[in-house]
Amino acid sequence: MDNAITTAGLTKGYGDRMAVDRLSLRVGRGEIYGFLGLNGAGKTTTIRMLLGMLRPTAGVARILGVQAHPGAGGLWSRVGYLVETPHAYPELTVRQNLEVIRRLRRVADSKAVERTMERLALDPYADRRAGTLSLGNAQRLGLAKALLHEPELLILDEPANGLDPAGVVEVRELLLGLAQERGVTVFMSSHILSEVARLATRIGVIHHGRLIEELESAALEGRRRRWLVVDARDRRAARAALSNAGFAVGPDEDGPLELTDPRAVAGPDDVARLLVGAGVPPTRLGVEQEDLETHFLRLVGAEKGVRR
Amino acid sequence: MKGMAAALWTEGLKAGRSKMPWLTGLGISLAPLVGGLFMMILKDPQWARRFGLITTKAQIRGGAADWPAYFGLLAQAVAVGGAIVFGLVAIWVFGREYSDRTVTDLLALPTSRGAIVGAKFVVIASWSAALTALVYALGLGIGAAIGLPGWSIGLAIDAAGRLGATAALTIALVSPFAWAASAGRGYLPPIGAMFLAIFLSQVIAALGWGAYFPWSVPALSSGVAGPDAQHVEAGSYLLVALTGAAGMAGTLAWWRFADQT
Repeated sequence: MDNAITTAGLTKGYGDRMAVDRLSLRVGRGEIYGFLGLNGAGKTTTIRMLLGMLRPTAGVARILGVQAHPGAGGLWSRVGYLVETPHAYPELTVRQNLEVIRRLRRVADSKAVERTMERLALDPYADRRAGTLSLGNAQRLGLAKALLHEPELLILDEPANGLDPAGVVEVRELLLGLAQERGVTVFMSSHILSEVARLATRIGVIHHGRLIEELESAALEGRRRRWLVVDARDRRAARAALSNAGFAVGPDEDGPLELTDPRAVAGPDDVARLLVGAGVPPTRLGVEQEDLETHFLRLVGAEKGVRR
Repeated sequence: MKGMAAALWTEGLKAGRSKMPWLTGLGISLAPLVGGLFMMILKDPQWARRFGLITTKAQIRGGAADWPAYFGLLAQAVAVGGAIVFGLVAIWVFGREYSDRTVTDLLALPTSRGAIVGAKFVVIASWSAALTALVYALGLGIGAAIGLPGWSIGLAIDAAGRLGATAALTIALVSPFAWAASAGRGYLPPIGAMFLAIFLSQVIAALGWGAYFPWSVPALSSGVAGPDAQHVEAGSYLLVALTGAAGMAGTLAWWRFADQT
């Protein structure tokens, strides 16, 4: 398969601290890959290695079939990127900042700047100094710099950072459009699973520098934990009745009961019948599902203080 | 170096749109202004006393108030003032990319990092040369306004050559600060390095070893310590050239090979 990004055993260590530890991943062409991890998990270090800004301690990264390194000039004209919070030359206007990038990216078409500003709704700010932009518009300018030369591959570090909800939706649609209509490959990092889940075709989870899980977004649904919440006026009796019927009942503290048994999740009606038969009719009965954030935190083992 | 023209264009735009050309222009203009004031005082101490510019006790020693002396002062001012002002130019051109955190945008482009570093050095050199020209032009104007004696075209041309040579030596010596700005990722480390170099250049020159310390050479060769003070030899100029080349090579290597976090 023709991959946009391949890494094999990619490692970056600082002394005995492993920022990225034997990371091997593949991103197919046209894919939107969500690279998920908490702050400090190694996302930005990985991205900097993909872009040839950091030299890996071990392993290699191949981008569009070429090994990533600083001198790979021809390669970089096919890649657009945004690393961490975008920054621009504060004394230059939005237009001038993009003009700088257009020249350095050796884009011959002088209309590219106007087109990109339009696409990212930056045209009202074209002649504003970049130093006076709001966080959200600075982020748009960062994305504009990544998109200006119409790259085949976009490597974006937290692209939704600082955007308001409308901006988040706009950028999501923009990236989806690029992937679907122009076959652009998108590799985007995030620490928000729900954001990635809406967009990505595949998700890789990095934790302490390691890729701990890789899955199709479609498979995410099936992985989320589900349980049946039961409440009754006499919780003690309900608990006893359910235990007698062979269900493991949690949690131990006061409050509604929870059944994680797949039989209970699949058959709330059976549970209701059982409770009615035992003389403790339920006052509440419902299947609940772990939300995406909780699922993510459970994956990375950071569920302290989080229910379940 | 791929993309040199593009890199030069962008570096020129960045420098031109900043306040730095004005600030450095203002800073370096102090040299001919203060030099001119000196000349006025030397020329007519009574006048200076009357205006309270100097106290009645001040003993103005040495030096005539004429064009050769004034041109000499300008060359020394470029050697000493230029070390600071040209140094600040270099530190700004490189350090701002780290301070404004824009360096990331320069690292994975079809324009090579070498071209970007090269363009930065070209901008630093031309900017410093322009500042030197400003000193010379202002000097001509101020000297004429004061009515200094001893003018000749030949002298003016000689002075331009001397000013240019001093400036060239001073400019060559800023490249290590560009390296310090890159490796130190900002303004403070190179500013520290620059003031250390200037301080050492004074101390070492005072001890008589100035010909062997590159940062002492421009001032010595401009005649700051008097015509018969210390000998600057061909080796001293070679030392300056080597220091400048090492600074440039170090900066280039840093941009090309070091981890850019």
